[in-house]
Amino acid sequence: MPIKSYLAHPCEGKKDALIASLSSIAQCELLPAENEDVVIVITDTSTEEEDQQLKSRLDNLEALKLLVLVSGFDTPKNP
Amino acid sequence: MYTSLSSRRLFIKQMAKAAAITAAAGMFPGIIFAGEQERAAAAQGDLEWKKGPCRFCGVGCGILVGIKDGKAVAVKGDPRSKVNKGLLCVKGYHQTMCIQSKDRLTHALVKKNGTYVKTPLDEALDLVASKMKETIEKHGKDSVAMYTSGQSTIPEGYVASKLMKGAIGTNNLDCNARLCMASAVAGFLTTFGADEPMGCYEDIEHADYFITWGNNMAEMHPVLFSRMLEQKQRRGAKIVDFATRTTRSSTASDRSILFEPQTDLAVANAICYEIIENGWMNKSFVEKHCNFTKGLTNIGYGLEDKFAFKDKATPIDFEAYREFLQDYTPEKVAKYSKVSVQDIKYLAAIYGDPNKKVVSYWCMGMNQHTRGTWMNNLVYNIHLLTGKISQPGNGPFSLTGQPSACGTAREVGTFTHKLPKGVVTNEKHRRLAAKIWKVPYERIPAKPTYHTTEMFRAVDRGDIKFIWTQVTNPLVSLPKTSRYRPALEKESCFVVVSDVFPTPTSDVADVILPASWHIEKSGIYGNSERRTQHWDQMIEGPGETTPDAWMTIEVAKRMGFGDLFPYSRENHVEEIYEEYIQFHEGKKHGMAPLKALKRKSGVIWPYVEGKSTLWRFNAEYDPACDNGKAFHFYGKPDGKAVIWQRPFEPAPEKPDAEYPFWLNTGRVVEHWHTGSMTRRIPVLHQAMPNAYIELHPDDAMDYGISNGDMVKVISKRGACTMPASINERGLPTKGQVFAPFFDEELMINDVTLDAFCPISKEPDFKKCAVKIEKV
Amino acid sequence: MKRIGIISFFGILLLSFIFLWNYSYRSGLEEAYIPLTEDNTTQWALPAERGVFENLDGSVDYSRMIIDEEHQRSLADYYYNRAYHGAPPYIPHPVADEKSMGGTSCLKCHGHGGFVAKFSAYAPVSPHPEMVNCRQCHVAKKSNSLFKEGLFASFETPLVGSNQALIGSPPMIPHQLQMRESCLSCHAGPSAPKEIRVTHPERVNCRQCHVPAENKETGIFIRQKK
Repeated sequence: MPIKSYLAHPCEGKKDALIASLSSIAQCELLPAENEDVVIVITDTSTEEEDQQLKSRLDNLEALKLLVLVSGFDTPKNP
Repeated sequence: MYTSLSSRRLFIKQMAKAAAITAAAGMFPGIIFAGEQERAAAAQGDLEWKKGPCRFCGVGCGILVGIKDGKAVAVKGDPRSKVNKGLLCVKGYHQTMCIQSKDRLTHALVKKNGTYVKTPLDEALDLVASKMKETIEKHGKDSVAMYTSGQSTIPEGYVASKLMKGAIGTNNLDCNARLCMASAVAGFLTTFGADEPMGCYEDIEHADYFITWGNNMAEMHPVLFSRMLEQKQRRGAKIVDFATRTTRSSTASDRSILFEPQTDLAVANAICYEIIENGWMNKSFVEKHCNFTKGLTNIGYGLEDKFAFKDKATPIDFEAYREFLQDYTPEKVAKYSKVSVQDIKYLAAIYGDPNKKVVSYWCMGMNQHTRGTWMNNLVYNIHLLTGKISQPGNGPFSLTGQPSACGTAREVGTFTHKLPKGVVTNEKHRRLAAKIWKVPYERIPAKPTYHTTEMFRAVDRGDIKFIWTQVTNPLVSLPKTSRYRPALEKESCFVVVSDVFPTPTSDVADVILPASWHIEKSGIYGNSERRTQHWDQMIEGPGETTPDAWMTIEVAKRMGFGDLFPYSRENHVEEIYEEYIQFHEGKKHGMAPLKALKRKSGVIWPYVEGKSTLWRFNAEYDPACDNGKAFHFYGKPDGKAVIWQRPFEPAPEKPDAEYPFWLNTGRVVEHWHTGSMTRRIPVLHQAMPNAYIELHPDDAMDYGISNGDMVKVISKRGACTMPASINERGLPTKGQVFAPFFDEELMINDVTLDAFCPISKEPDFKKCAVKIEKV
Repeated sequence: MKRIGIISFFGILLLSFIFLWNYSYRSGLEEAYIPLTEDNTTQWALPAERGVFENLDGSVDYSRMIIDEEHQRSLADYYYNRAYHGAPPYIPHPVADEKSMGGTSCLKCHGHGGFVAKFSAYAPVSPHPEMVNCRQCHVAKKSNSLFKEGLFASFETPLVGSNQALIGSPPMIPHQLQMRESCLSCHAGPSAPKEIRVTHPERVNCRQCHVPAENKETGIFIRQKK
C-alpha cells in the first residue's frame, strides 16, 4: 500500500488550476504553499499498479510543470 | 508540526507530508503552508480581513485586520508579507484595542480662558490658519514652525513639507525622527552619499553571524529577532550581543559582550586595527571602491543654544589611516572600554574571516549618541575594509524605530535641511522641488533653520511664536523635558497639537485637533528595508476625527494656498503619492506605482522595470550600477565609499563623585514610543503598568535598595522617582542605571541631557550622570 | 620502501598535528571566553528572562516530538497533582532512592522527558532543571487519608481559552513565571497537558507575543490629571 509525497510545481500562473485538478483526484491529499508557487501532494494508493496509474495521470496534468518525488513508503498489507 | 500515532497509516502519511515540507523549505526559505493561521481563521467565522502595515515600530510587519460590522475586532500577521511571514509581536496583535479608549480625542478643542471648549473642526482650522497667517505677518516666516513625525504617513509628511517650504517659504520643519534616525542618515550620507540600508531583511536567511551593536532586538525588533533565532536553530547562525546592559537579547545570544558607555567608538576602531594588522583587509575591494578621509575632531556637544558646527573632510591615504589606528590596539582599548582583549579579537576575527557572512544591526544605541554619525561611519569602515557589504548575508543594517521613519522623515524629507529629493542647500534640488510644487524657485530658502532640539530652544527663547505638532508627543520624548515643558507653556508661543489621544503635549496646547488613527484613514508607510507599504481605510473614525494630511491641506487652503493643494478629500492619498514619486524617478530611487503597492504587502525601492532592488550598489542586483565594476557606490561623485578616520572622544557628562551613575534610557517589548497608544491597550498596560529604574544588584545593596523600593534619580536638570527593578527585565552594568521612557507619569526625560551629535543633531538619550536616593 | 612508509607516516602525523593545532587554536579563539571578573553577570543574570531561551541549544527539539493521544495528560490530571494552582506537584510514583535529594535520579526522567513503560506515561519535564534539591519541594503522596478533616481555602484555576483579548490573538500568561520561566517544558512535548500544548513550539521567543496577565487589578490606563 504505497504512500508517496511529491512537490508539484505549477506552470506559471496556473497554481489555482493545478490545485483544482489535483483536488478532483480521490487518492491525492494536497497542501498548497501560501506564498510560493508549489503544492505538496501526498498520494495514498492500495496497490503498486494503482500507484503507477496515478503517477501517469498526474504527469499528464496540463497545469503541472514539474513533479518531484520526495519520499515513498510501503506499508504491509494488513497493518 | 506534530504527528499523531493514533493510526499507523495516518502516521506514515504525516511523515511523507513532513518530508515534503522540509524539502520545500529547503528550496524556498520562508515558505508557509496553510497551518496554524488558517485553522485559526476558520474558527473566526465571517470576519473580513484587510491588509496594511503595523502601526508601531520600524520593522514594518504586514498585518491583516479582521473587520466585523464596521469595527476592527482582530489582528493577525499577514502570511504573504516578506517581512514577518505571518508572525507579529504582542503589540501588533493587540494594536486595534486602543481605538475605543474612553479618552479618545473625537472633536477639536480650543483653549478659552484656561479651559478646553469643544469646537466644530472647521472653526478650529479657521483659527489655526488665521493664527499662523497673523504670526507670519507680524513676526516673519521663520516665527512659525511645524514638528511632525516618523509616524506620519508619506502623504502627511509631503503636504507638511510643501506647505512650509514651498507655500510659506520657511525651513522651520523638523520631525521626531531627528531623535531616532538622524545619525543613521548622516552616517549613510557621509560614507555612501545615499541614505538608507543597502541590504534588506533577507540578509537574515544568509548570514552566519549577527552582531548587534547596543540594540536589544528581542524586545525592540522582536519579529526580526525571531527570524534570527530561526536561523540559529536551523543553520547554527550565531548572535553576538555587544551592549552596555544585559537584556533578553543577551540571554538568547551566543555571546554577550558588555562595554563601558561611549567606548563603542574605540572598540570599533580596535576591530579595524585588528583587521588591517592581521591581513584580513580585502585589499582589492578597498582599492577599487573606497577612499580614506578624515574629519574635524573635538567637535563639541551642542549644549549651548544656537550651537553651530560644520564638518570638513580632508582626504588622507591608507598609511595615515593605519598610523591613526595605532592608538586603538586591543590592549589599549581594553583598558577603558572594559571589553577584554580576547573579546575585541573575537569580534575582529568574525568580521575578518573571509568565509563568514556577517550582518551588523543597530538602532538607538549607536544613533542616540553624541558621536552618532562617527559611530555609524565606524561600523561602515569595518564592513568596507572587509568588503562585506551589499551582498546577501553581508552588510551593515541600520534599523528604525518608527513605522515611516524611512518612508516619510527620510524619503519625503521632513527635516529642516531636506527636500523630497536632496537638500535645501543644493540649488538643483531646490529647482526640482519648485518645479514639481509649481512655486517660484526663490521661495524655498537655501539655509536650514532649526533642528528639533534647537526648535524647542527657540520656542523657549520666544523666537518661535507658533508651533504645530502632528503624530508625536515631544513633551515625553524630548531630552531634558524639564526645560521644554515650561517653554511650551509660555504665552509667547501658540501651540497646536494634532493627536489621537490626550498626552502631556496636548495638555499645553492652545488648539487640539482630533486625528484619525492608522486604519481609520488610508496611508503609506516606508519601513527600515526601503519597503513602501500602502493601506486603504478600513473603518470609520469617531466624531470629527480627520486624517492629518487633510487637516494640513485645509489649513493651507484657508491661508490662500489652495491652488498648490488641488487634492480631493476621498483620494488625496493617491493623488499626493502620484505627485511625490516624480521626485524619485530613476534607477537609484524609483518608487513602485500605486497599483503594485495595492496588490502586494509592501514593495522595496529602487523599483526598476517592475522589479525591486534588494541589494543596492552591487552590480549583480542593482541596475543603477554603471561603472562596469562589481560594486558602484553611486551616491558619491567618484563612485567610491568613504572610510572615515573618526577617533574616540568622551561623553559630555560622565559619572563623578557627586553624580556617580550613568543613566541609560530605552524601551520595553510591551510599550512603543511614549506609550500614548500602547498604554491604552489593556493587555499591554497590565503586563507593564509603569516605568521603573534598573540597578545592578551590587549598587542596590550598597544603597540598601530592594526590588520595588522607590528610588529618586537626580541629575543636574531634574529628578524622577520610580520603583527599583533588580535583575528582572534587564541588568545594567555596575555604575549604570536604566529606565524606560514610555511612562508619562514617571518621566525620565526630565533627567536626561540635551547634548547632541554636532553632525546629525541627534540627542544622546543613553548617557548622562545621575545620583540615586532611596525614598 | 619501509623507510618511505615511516617517513610518510610521520609526515601524516605532522600534517594532522598542524591541522588539529590550527583547529584548536581557532576554536580557542571562540570558546576560551573568560567573563569580565568584576561583573560576573553570566551566572545569574536575568533569572526571569533567560529560561525562555533554555531550549535554544537544540538539546530538546519539541517541534519534532510526537503526540501520543493514548498517553497524553489533560489539564485536570495536571491540577489533580498539586494542592493549588502554582503549588509544587506531588510525586505520584514510588521514588527510586529514598536517601536521594533528587538530582540525577529525578532528572534522568524529568530532565528531558520520555515514555516510561512502567507508568505507561510520559515523564513531565522540569521547567527548572538547574535546581537539584528536588525533594525540598516535591514530596511523595503515600496516603490518601487525612490526619484531621479541614476546610481548605481554594482559589480559581485559570481556564483554557478565556485569556485572549481579541479573537485569534495570542493568549496571555495566566500564571506566575517564577520557576516556570522555561515555557516549553510544560507547554510542549508529549507530556504537556493537551489543552495547553502550543501549536508552534519551533518559535522560541514566547514572550514576544504572550505577556503576563497577572496585573488584572491594574485595570486600564487612566491619565492622572494635573
